Amino acid sequence: MMITKSKVKQPTVWVVMLIIVGLLLAVGASRDGGPRTQQERVDAISKRLACPTCQGESVYVSRASASVSLREEIARQVGSGTRSDDQIVAYVEQRFGGQVLLVPRSSGLDALVWALPVAALICALVGLISAFRRWKVSATAEISDAERELVQKALDDF
Amino acid sequence: MSQRRGARMIAMATLVVMVGLLLVLVNASPNPSENADSPLLGQPAPAIETTTLDNKQFNLARRKGSWVVLNFFNSTCVPCRNEHPLLLEFAATEALATDKAELYTVINDDSDEAVAAYFQTFGGDWPKLRDQNGSIAISFGIAKVPETWIIDPNGYVRLRIAGQLSDGLLEEQLSALRSSFG
Repeated sequence: MMITKSKVKQPTVWVVMLIIVGLLLAVGASRDGGPRTQQERVDAISKRLACPTCQGESVYVSRASASVSLREEIARQVGSGTRSDDQIVAYVEQRFGGQVLLVPRSSGLDALVWALPVAALICALVGLISAFRRWKVSATAEISDAERELVQKALDDF
Repeated sequence: MSQRRGARMIAMATLVVMVGLLLVLVNASPNPSENADSPLLGQPAPAIETTTLDNKQFNLARRKGSWVVLNFFNSTCVPCRNEHPLLLEFAATEALATDKAELYTVINDDSDEAVAAYFQTFGGDWPKLRDQNGSIAISFGIAKVPETWIIDPNGYVRLRIAGQLSDGLLEEQLSALRSSFG
């Protein structure tokens, strides 16, 4: 099926496309990748934690002794099977403090990290929409006789 | 005209926010205390079950009733070596006290032989605890040594000193804690 130029301009086409993209993203995000191995869990958890003794490295990549010990502790806790990934991360956070988290929490003051970009995006969209509307209004504004005369004069001179 | 007013309002709001941030930064002062913060302060101490260098069993839960001082140590760490004379002084003072605090060295990422040789050379007859796989260090959230922790007779964590001890600090802090929680 071909979408003609006029059809693309119709808002319903865009709405349908947005719904399809949204559905595909939702399916992709919620898709179950199957059960994970213990090593996959250890890797996933250690990627969420910052090395306590080095700057800008995760526990997963760091070779510092504190990170090595942390990876071993995570492996022990994963191996015991009594704690979920979030509980293990919370255990480490309770010991080392919030600065050990590479992914900010979604509660408290840290939630601003997630909320502010969304708020900024919404503000920007609202600003753009209002600006576009204003430009549209000024583009379709009536031309006054003085303006018409001015244009005519310029054309005559040309 | 209204556009100009809107722009002026936005500029004013930005200025107010910037001035507010500047005031916050100017008034913020670094923590002057030598004590480090930890989520464990005021909480029950993490469990420690290990062995000492002379192969005796150690269980922190059985030390309730005494003030316990844990010093996380590595024989190659310079600040650990620098503070060692202060720990010797502290141990000598506490040995004479009526409710003496128990001092323990927790070996951090070091071999038994190196630690034994260090203490043989520089002195210190208090127990040295093994920390297999660094699990004690992780349970206390230790990133770097030296660190010194004080646990009260009820088993609650009361103080964390991160870094090298200064002269008299440990005695002073323990005395303050004894009068608050003893």
